[in-house]
Amino acid sequence: MDELLTQFGISGPKFIAQVILFLIVYAVLKKFAFGPIIAVFEERKKAIAESQANAEKIKKQLAEAEIRYQEILRKANSEAQHLIEEARAASEATTQKHLQQAIKDAENIISKARESVDLDRARMVADVKREMIHLVVDTTSKVAGKILTEADQERLAGETTKQLAA
Amino acid sequence: MLDSFFVAAALTLDAPAIIPSSGESFFDWLSNSVFVSFVVSAFIIWFARQATKQLTVVPGPTQNMFEAVVQGLYDLIESIVGSHMVARAFSLLATLFIFILVSNWFALLPGVGSIGWGKDTPAGFEVLTPILRPTTADMNMTLAMACVFMVFWLYWSISEVGIKGFLDHIFGVKGGLTGFMALALIPVFLFVGVIEVVSMAFRPMSLSLRLFGNVFAGETLLSTMITLGKQLNLPDWIAYALSVTIPVPFYFLEILVGLLQATVFLLLCSVYLQLSTSHDEEEGH
Repeated sequence: MDELLTQFGISGPKFIAQVILFLIVYAVLKKFAFGPIIAVFEERKKAIAESQANAEKIKKQLAEAEIRYQEILRKANSEAQHLIEEARAASEATTQKHLQQAIKDAENIISKARESVDLDRARMVADVKREMIHLVVDTTSKVAGKILTEADQERLAGETTKQLAA
Repeated sequence: MLDSFFVAAALTLDAPAIIPSSGESFFDWLSNSVFVSFVVSAFIIWFARQATKQLTVVPGPTQNMFEAVVQGLYDLIESIVGSHMVARAFSLLATLFIFILVSNWFALLPGVGSIGWGKDTPAGFEVLTPILRPTTADMNMTLAMACVFMVFWLYWSISEVGIKGFLDHIFGVKGGLTGFMALALIPVFLFVGVIEVVSMAFRPMSLSLRLFGNVFAGETLLSTMITLGKQLNLPDWIAYALSVTIPVPFYFLEILVGLLQATVFLLLCSVYLQLSTSHDEEEGH
């Protein structure tokens, strides 16, 4: 066995030196290289996982916001429709009210005008009657050539009035 | 120029001390391969420090390269040894891979095996004791790595599955057999266990010899190709031209072999670890 080892150049001191050297490299790399690098890997993995979780959260929030937005939009549409309907109804009611008022005002104006016309007509008729009676009395007195008494004048006026009324 | 033609030394199995001495010396342990181990270790540690000095979540070029290597190794090792063992075993297995890879590729640098003490010969200056020798072409190094791994392997295996579980892995009746069949097969599995123990005992040797043999053969191949012209007694200028051109394809081959051997060493160690630390429910047999 010793011969075999010697043949391959294996010797205790050299072997131990190589073992020590290799263990030093292993210890240094483990402490100063692999440990920190793996810690960075873990940190990066954690950051990526967090980012993914955040992305998922944001996606979920976005979906919820979209639903809320749609809901608000639907509600706003509904309210707007309702307002339009109300405005339309109010407008129609106002129009009707104003129309009725206008009709009423017009009727009042017409009625007043008619009353005024009637009064004027009655006054004119009365004036015409009075003028006619006066004319009949004057004409009769001129034709008869005498001055008519108060009683004659009243009788003539009464007869004239009766005939005009007929 | 041709008068000072260098003849690279053919590798010897024994790695000589870089400080030649006539008798016993305290520095006999400082062989040329131990010296290269120093250099390789220093380079790896320096590079790792450069890469991890100022770690940031968004990495710079050096950190990015180192992270890519570490991440690749981590995923590979995790896929073999499982998530329960990767945190414990990763550092050692990754160090093995990186150390072997850098050592193998360091061996291809100009000057390794061709600078050192030697003598003038009619063919030129012949290097007899190179200062730099591929450290993975020295059995001391490959055996050291294999032994270190086997010690950790034994510790991790026992701490992971317990002594009973460890022995059960080796000698236990496998295949989920129970009852009479299990009893009947106990002697068979005991015998298989003994074979398994022998196989385990040879693992350091097989791991180290495989790596040593491949790198040693590669170095010998390159050395042969470089000195081919001289060995064929061709004119100096042809031998010089051949020594530059012929090894080129073999250098590419050795770059590949260096990576391959580091990977093989890593994979075998990972598989050994996985076999002895897998729990029954994970074994699937």
